Amino acid sequence: MFVSTDQGGRAKPDLPAELAARARPVSTAASRLLPLPDALAALFPDGALRRGSTTLVAGSPGGGTTTLALALLSTVSAAGGWCAAVGVADPGVVAAVELGLDLRRVVFVPRPAGAWADATGELLGAVEAVVVRPPGAARPVAARRLAARARERRTALVVLVDHAGGWPFGPDVSLTVRDAEWEGVGEGHGHLQGRLAAVAAAARHPAASPAVHRLWLPSSDGSVAASPVCPASPTRSATTAPATTA
Amino acid sequence: MAVCCPLLQHEGERGEEARRFSLVLRAADELCPWVEPVALGSCTLPARGPSRFFGGEARLVDQLGAAVIGALDGAGPVQIGAADGLFAALLAARAGVIVPPGGSATFLSSWSLAVLRRPDLAVTLQRLGIHTLGQFAALPARHVLARFGGEAVLCHRVARAEVGELPGLRDPRIGHRLREVRGELPDVTPQAGFFGGTSAGDLRAAGAVARLQARLGPEAVLTGRLGEGRDPADRGRLVPWGSRPEGRHPGRAACRAPAPWPGRLPPPSPMVVLGDPLAAELVDRAGRPVRVGATGLLSDAPARLSIAGGPWRQVRGWAGPWPASERWWSGRRRRARLQVVDGGGEAVLLAAERGRWWLEGRYD
Repeated sequence: MFVSTDQGGRAKPDLPAELAARARPVSTAASRLLPLPDALAALFPDGALRRGSTTLVAGSPGGGTTTLALALLSTVSAAGGWCAAVGVADPGVVAAVELGLDLRRVVFVPRPAGAWADATGELLGAVEAVVVRPPGAARPVAARRLAARARERRTALVVLVDHAGGWPFGPDVSLTVRDAEWEGVGEGHGHLQGRLAAVAAAARHPAASPAVHRLWLPSSDGSVAASPVCPASPTRSATTAPATTA
Repeated sequence: MAVCCPLLQHEGERGEEARRFSLVLRAADELCPWVEPVALGSCTLPARGPSRFFGGEARLVDQLGAAVIGALDGAGPVQIGAADGLFAALLAARAGVIVPPGGSATFLSSWSLAVLRRPDLAVTLQRLGIHTLGQFAALPARHVLARFGGEAVLCHRVARAEVGELPGLRDPRIGHRLREVRGELPDVTPQAGFFGGTSAGDLRAAGAVARLQARLGPEAVLTGRLGEGRDPADRGRLVPWGSRPEGRHPGRAACRAPAPWPGRLPPPSPMVVLGDPLAAELVDRAGRPVRVGATGLLSDAPARLSIAGGPWRQVRGWAGPWPASERWWSGRRRRARLQVVDGGGEAVLLAAERGRWWLEGRYD
């Protein structure tokens, strides 16, 4: 046991293998990608959240958009990166932890009122990823400025809107959540166990083709998971517990 | 010279006092450099140079008083005083006087022994008929050492104004606490960094948080904390960033697996937890309000739901009720929770209390 006093060449302890695998993406300054939970990697052309990109998460309120947007931050946060949520009113802290966020590095600005764009702009560049829910439709000027600032400051911007028209600036990746169905609740029995939803992913990237993925948003342990059910034949059962793919 | 803000000396749960005090320090610092925090609510500054600059100590007191009152913004009175040495200066602030240089021993002589905050010594001395610092100071130093020991010698020298510092006057944590509220330290220093240190990312984020708090107000920038309880609102709370962590190991609570609580709903938890629950109406097929009976069962199957006077929505499925008799020993709260899925596929968490339904959370 010895301590190096040299700040520049600080001796770092060897990490356990499984921790090192999770830590690498955000601890490397040169990395252009932020890690995602396995279940969400397939939604993105890079298999990860690109720094400086804008991702749109659209869907009707109550359909799982907040869960999906915050889930995009979970691995970044768990691996040591800072995240922020602006304009997400009354976020459920326990649900955020179940999604895998590390509360110590998540900044919530639930009610920025008129200053939502300023608050988001301030956080871009200061944290690794920002989720923002603009109140109503965002003005094109504000949207373009924030997207440009995100690209310049290399922070991933996730915009949460009720419908794709709520963000008047073309995102890099657009995720639309629909057909959400809760499982596990019958007429007076069971408990909410998971929500199966279809997420349509479209990227501006020319090589990527739009695809529909079926995801648990969330699954029975509160995290997000890919559904093993084939997209063509979604089976719906009120009694079977959703499988949680690790 | 010492400045004391009596109402800021004890920190409440929200950490407002430390934040206010850092504003007081900033205001004082603009008038005179070398302002030094002593403990929460009190600070010192060298009087000689600034008083010459402002044209006398009385002028400096006026200027300083106005600046500090402005920074306090109504948070109580401010006491300013000057004397040689920290101990005398703090008492001078309490009395609101300016003691001339060399006059500290005389000034101290009339104070009671209680101000030394050494109750054992004070009791012993009072039995000997010594009640004031002046009487104590008059005792010969060598007798004090022989009869009362080393600690008393230090107090004796303080009472004689030979020494200005008395152990216990300065709060060793004050610097750290102030850096915390100013956002110069991340909230949870011990565990924030990946290798146990503070990374560049931590500092960047803390700076942005401090700027946001300055712009939107401290209550607008929040952090999540996990707690104990059954309510979604008890188990996870949002508190202002930088507010005082409860318990001795704030970081540990955040990483600990939540303990099992009977009556707690299994995951997934609601993604939206309303700070102020909304009134809801739940009726059965005949339009009668659904109630939770004494046996913990619903009076009838719910058929329609309306939130905050909004349109009626069909109830497709529900689960519960889960009874949660909180503080059952005082009989104060009997609550039951119900998960409801409506016709649009949206799930909500309702709570029934005293015959009324409330929307507590949404599963968005």
